[in-house]
Amino acid sequence: MELNDANLQTLTEYLQKTLSPDPAVRRPAEKFLESVEGNQNYPILLLTVLEKSQDEVIRVCSAVTFKNYIKRNWRIVEDEPNKISDPDRTAIKANIVNLMLTSPEQIQKQLSDAISIIGREDFPQKWPDLLTEMVNRFQSGDFHIINGVLRTAHSLFKRYRHEFKSNELWSEIKLVLDTFAQPLTELFKATIDLCQTHATDVNALKVLFSSLTLISKLFYSLNFQDLPEFFEDNMETWMTNFHNLLTLDNKLLQTDDEEEAGLLELLKSQICDNAALYAQKYDEEFQPYLPRFVTAIWNLLVTTGQEVKYDLLVSNAIQFLASVCERPHYKHLFEDQNILTSICEKVIVPNMEFRSADEEAFEDNSEEYIIRDLEGSDIDTRRRAACDLVRGLCKFFEGPVTGIFSGYVNSMLTEYAKNPGVNWKHKDAAIYLVTSLASKAQTQKHGITQANELVNLSEFFVNHILVDLKSPNVNEFPVLKADAIKYVMTFRSQLPKEQLLEAVPLLVAHLQAESIVQHTYAAHALERLFTMRGANNTTLITPTEMAPFTEQLLNNLFKALAIPGSSENEYIMKAIMRSFSLLQEAIVPYIPTLIGQLTHKLLLVSKNPSKPHFNHYLFESLCLSIRITCKANPDTVGSFEEALFPVFTEILQNDVQEFVPYVFQVMSLLLEIHSSSIPSSYMALFPHLLQPVLWERTGNIPPLVRLLQAYLEKGAAAIASTAADKIPGLLGVFQKLIASKANDHQGFYLLNSIVEHMPPESITQYRKQIFILLFQRLQSSKTTKFVKSFLVFINLYGVKYGAIALQEIFDDIQPKQVALLLSKCVCQMFGMVVEKIVIPEVQKVSGQVEKKICAVGITKILTECPAMMDTEYTKLWTPLLQALIGLFELPEDDSIPDDEHFIDIEDTPGYQTAFSQLAFAGKKEHDPIGDAVSNPKILLAQSLHKLSTACPGRVPSMLSTSLPAEALQFLQGYLQAATVQLV
Amino acid sequence: MSKFKNKGKEPTKMRDRRIAECVELRKAHRVESILKKRNISLGDEEPLSPEYNTDNAQVITATIQEIVANVNSDCPEKQRQGCQAARKLLSRERNPPLKEIVEAGLLTRFVEFLGRHDDPTLQFEAAWSLTNVASGTSWHTQQVVEHGAVPAFIALLASPMLNISEQAVWALGNIAGDGPSYRDSLIDCGVIPALLARLTPDAPVGYLRNLTWTLSNLCRNKNPFPRFSAVQQMLPSIIQLLHHSDKSILSDACWAISYLTDGPNERIDVVIKTGILPRLVELLGFEELAVVTPALRSIGNIVSGSDLQTQAAIDAGVLSALPQLMRHPKSSVQKEAAWAVSNIAAGPCQQIQQLITCGLLAPLVDLLRNGDFKTQREAVWAVTNYTSGGTVDQVVHLVKCGALEAILNLLQVKDTKTVLVILDAINNIFLAAEKLGEVDKLCLLVEEVGGLDRIEFLQNHENNAVYRAAQALIEKYFSEDGEDQCLTTEATDANFVFGASEVQKRFDF
Repeated sequence: MELNDANLQTLTEYLQKTLSPDPAVRRPAEKFLESVEGNQNYPILLLTVLEKSQDEVIRVCSAVTFKNYIKRNWRIVEDEPNKISDPDRTAIKANIVNLMLTSPEQIQKQLSDAISIIGREDFPQKWPDLLTEMVNRFQSGDFHIINGVLRTAHSLFKRYRHEFKSNELWSEIKLVLDTFAQPLTELFKATIDLCQTHATDVNALKVLFSSLTLISKLFYSLNFQDLPEFFEDNMETWMTNFHNLLTLDNKLLQTDDEEEAGLLELLKSQICDNAALYAQKYDEEFQPYLPRFVTAIWNLLVTTGQEVKYDLLVSNAIQFLASVCERPHYKHLFEDQNILTSICEKVIVPNMEFRSADEEAFEDNSEEYIIRDLEGSDIDTRRRAACDLVRGLCKFFEGPVTGIFSGYVNSMLTEYAKNPGVNWKHKDAAIYLVTSLASKAQTQKHGITQANELVNLSEFFVNHILVDLKSPNVNEFPVLKADAIKYVMTFRSQLPKEQLLEAVPLLVAHLQAESIVQHTYAAHALERLFTMRGANNTTLITPTEMAPFTEQLLNNLFKALAIPGSSENEYIMKAIMRSFSLLQEAIVPYIPTLIGQLTHKLLLVSKNPSKPHFNHYLFESLCLSIRITCKANPDTVGSFEEALFPVFTEILQNDVQEFVPYVFQVMSLLLEIHSSSIPSSYMALFPHLLQPVLWERTGNIPPLVRLLQAYLEKGAAAIASTAADKIPGLLGVFQKLIASKANDHQGFYLLNSIVEHMPPESITQYRKQIFILLFQRLQSSKTTKFVKSFLVFINLYGVKYGAIALQEIFDDIQPKQVALLLSKCVCQMFGMVVEKIVIPEVQKVSGQVEKKICAVGITKILTECPAMMDTEYTKLWTPLLQALIGLFELPEDDSIPDDEHFIDIEDTPGYQTAFSQLAFAGKKEHDPIGDAVSNPKILLAQSLHKLSTACPGRVPSMLSTSLPAEALQFLQGYLQAATVQLV
Repeated sequence: MSKFKNKGKEPTKMRDRRIAECVELRKAHRVESILKKRNISLGDEEPLSPEYNTDNAQVITATIQEIVANVNSDCPEKQRQGCQAARKLLSRERNPPLKEIVEAGLLTRFVEFLGRHDDPTLQFEAAWSLTNVASGTSWHTQQVVEHGAVPAFIALLASPMLNISEQAVWALGNIAGDGPSYRDSLIDCGVIPALLARLTPDAPVGYLRNLTWTLSNLCRNKNPFPRFSAVQQMLPSIIQLLHHSDKSILSDACWAISYLTDGPNERIDVVIKTGILPRLVELLGFEELAVVTPALRSIGNIVSGSDLQTQAAIDAGVLSALPQLMRHPKSSVQKEAAWAVSNIAAGPCQQIQQLITCGLLAPLVDLLRNGDFKTQREAVWAVTNYTSGGTVDQVVHLVKCGALEAILNLLQVKDTKTVLVILDAINNIFLAAEKLGEVDKLCLLVEEVGGLDRIEFLQNHENNAVYRAAQALIEKYFSEDGEDQCLTTEATDANFVFGASEVQKRFDF
């Protein structure tokens, strides 16, 4: 591609087209540009357009295109062709800095990004003069240029803040320091001088302050990894100036905007970060400066207003104090009672106040308010920072701080009492202060778990919290009501049970409040109280204690779902679930009404599922309704099916992906309740469950397998008689599942159920095929997980059909062949499996039931399979017995070969709906052997005894010749326990 | 999960964490090491040549030209004057004119004067001047060597005049301190036997100090290390010096040991075999920082060796010396002590058990809480090593001592590697909790002390390894739901087609 006018013209035209809103014009243009970008000179053409075009839009467009081109192509990947020619690379590097610095800001930013992408690859080795070129521009005196340089330097150096120490990285930093640190320091000083010269020129100041902010950011990056010699030598210059800047206030730079942080705030925030970095990492060197910074930052806090724009600055500044005050050797800076009092009064209390921004969020953006207030996503807020400072100060000064704050709490409460209508925010702050003072440790599950003993939580509850909870008008002062509810929730583990019981009916009443925050908190508080555990690990609050309020509780919870804004409120739905779970049979009388409401809700949300948590708890609540009701009266299962199947059908027909796995789980639960035969409604659905499309979604697999298992458990005979043509399809599912390393265990669950429940004759014709598939998988990709499942399966097969059947089917697939025509001997299958798989791997089998199946199965192979005694398999007999004793006595072998660790993840395709297990649809563990064998060790002893009587003398001689003494000792223990002897 | 999960099973222990020769950004701190080269300055001390006193003022003002003229003259008196004037210029505290003297071409003459056994004063002044030139940069040292000073100095070691011999010791120390290549050429020239010959019981302390320092420089520097035979030659004398009563000799002898142990395990072995460990441990208890620092560095190096070598240090009693060093007022000592602990913690669980028995956990947790940043960083490594090699019971014990809370607090530290190392430790602790079936309890504990917030926050970290590790912890242990309980097949719309596509004839597993 030549650098000529015609090409420039063409390029301009295509760039123009890429801006078209019409995809029919835009897409081909984009395609075209991509198709030519491999040509030499393409980037130079772009830069030329950027430089020469008269059209501002085209210039920006070309800058963006250039940056993206660099992003895609600059990196040289090993073994791949170099996508940008060397002359182009050289030309770009020679021109781009200058071009960036002389361009208007919008283009400058794009080019600056491009430079940092190039720099990441080429700097410093392949771009040695970059820094010098940049540093030279400091002399220009033009702050538009200087800021361009600083911005580019910032994007080049900021990675020093998070990369690991390495020789390569540190060499680069050293190089940067050598060329950059001194000029940067000079620039810093000069800029500060200029600020004084231009103290009255607001436009000049703006530019200068953005330079200072950038310089401060660069300082942070360059000092992050370690304290460089240069900066240690020049600490005086930097710290003195930083300190001055912190204390500086320039009216001209104050902004009117309440939300957006101004230049002064940004600069001071960064300086706080710089001071915090030094205080944390270079304590020894920074010590002389620290007290000054503490004072300056504290003064800064005292004089900074409540506006949102100061939030970042204030929280950074408070965090600085918080981190310093808990270090033992700075304790003295805070020790003085007057200082402590001022910090509490002027820094902490003001930042705990409920601001108008909070009030707006409380009313209009309740969802975000709740997330911030309840779930602790408030890392950067002032309140959070203030709490952290309280906690920091309490490390050394718990007593004095508690004393000081008690005074404040009292005076704020007095203020409130004088005129609640006007002063309610004082009470809010008082409650917040008590909460932050009292909480020493906290979890979502238990609330506060460790409290400051100097705060009397119970007394505060009686005197100040209960009043608001009891207030007859639930809609008055919603913020204070929400505070009171939150207090109960937060301190639930600290308050005596009587007080909690006193609160319960009041909380129930608050479910009706109009304020979303308030009724959400009430639901959440109830839900949390219901999960609390008392003695004997039963719930703290009993269904009996709840009896007087049950009806009100259920009513109000469902009514709350009707309040505008809360129709899919996950806290309420979770409270419903928890109430069901707590109340158990007490809810049975209400279920006929409630199930209608739940199904209705399900129908509504299935149109457009948007709240995953809400939906999950909704299904959990459905499961609970079913379990609790059917436990009392299993016959009611039909009425649930009647109520639910229409909605389920709709969900399945419309293929509502989020809900399908839940539907299968609920159906499994329902089907498992049926005592004997399978209803025809289920059988009608059976063929559909085998449809491949359903099995393509990973989230469907576990619940579908479970549902099919329920079908087999309840309806194996029905399938064999009325749907025998579907058996190949069912086995097809098994085949599909075992082909995947991630899902093979699910395939085995299915196969085990088939073997266990299907009438033997119905699957006779498929048996050999099943084994061949398993052997193929063993051959092609043997993993530990597969082997474990395989072992359980073959043993189950042996238990079900007998050891001889097992041996025969194996050897039928691959009999011993006298190797006349074959180049090597073919091993006989049964022996090979026992030798290569069972004996070495059985120790890895995990799970009580699984181990039991293997134990019984192996016992059968040892004692009921003549081939083991009479053929060349005899040599495997003792090792197999030894492996069985190992299975009984040795710890499980949970080692996994190195290359298998990541299978589960790698094989999960894409981002499909993950499977969410419903806790209350839970399946009890199934033991296919059950009571038939209660102690497998005894079974082994008895079976060996039987075998030995059948062929006297042989068993003891096999044992004595090759079973290790230790194993023999265990075996003798079993024989004694079973009171049998070998003959 | 990510790779993180396997960390605990990595067979490569973290015990190879030596203080690597790495690019440094920091100022070299004097206390942490001794100078590689020493200039002899005219301080308060009398010049070492008492018999030759002239008017100082007059000489100091002497110009280089005058010096050149004097030195090059044939008159012994003038030569002495010139030489002394040069020595005085070179002994100035600030900016001695090393380069000027070299460029004036004086070195040839100075080296020549070293051989003037007839004029000890001249020998002495010339030796002193050369010593000071050699104390400059590598370039300066190179000038001295290239003018043939090495054989001359080695010959001078045997001088009957103690002050001249001492000067030679000093000059050779400076040359050896320049780096491995001059060090080895000195050794090739037979410097060691010549030095050791002067190590006699009647040698004055001042002389022995210089001798020890020069020996230490002969042990110094890696890439390559001084060869084994040389080390073997020097070691018995160094061991002997380690029993001296002079603190400065002890300090330099300890530094020598620290250089010799800062290498592969076979280097460490040579030192251990001398039986010096108990003495080193004893030196850890000294008051003087100048002794404690190199003794502790040596011990630190030794415990970074093999399990057996570490055990030798433990058997020598190092574990009872460490607690007080971990509580030493100097943070540099705390840091080195924590480093040593981190390496012992990287050992087998029997050694970890000894850390517990000897009461090292409490001071370790103190350091995690209140140490300065560099110390905390080492202490964090100790926790991670401990939790990756310790038994479940040992890990539980560490958590009970408050280490978990302390490291969780450190997650806000502004050092990416440390953060990752902490996440590794947390993961190890969770693995132990899994074995005990106590994961839920541990989750609550982590959350209670504010650790969950910090780990969650790290999911936004700029560093990939950190955010992945944080994410893995959250997903594995803290996500409420989404807990999975958890060949091609032909398919039609309705069914999968069952059946093996082609039957393989032979199976062989």
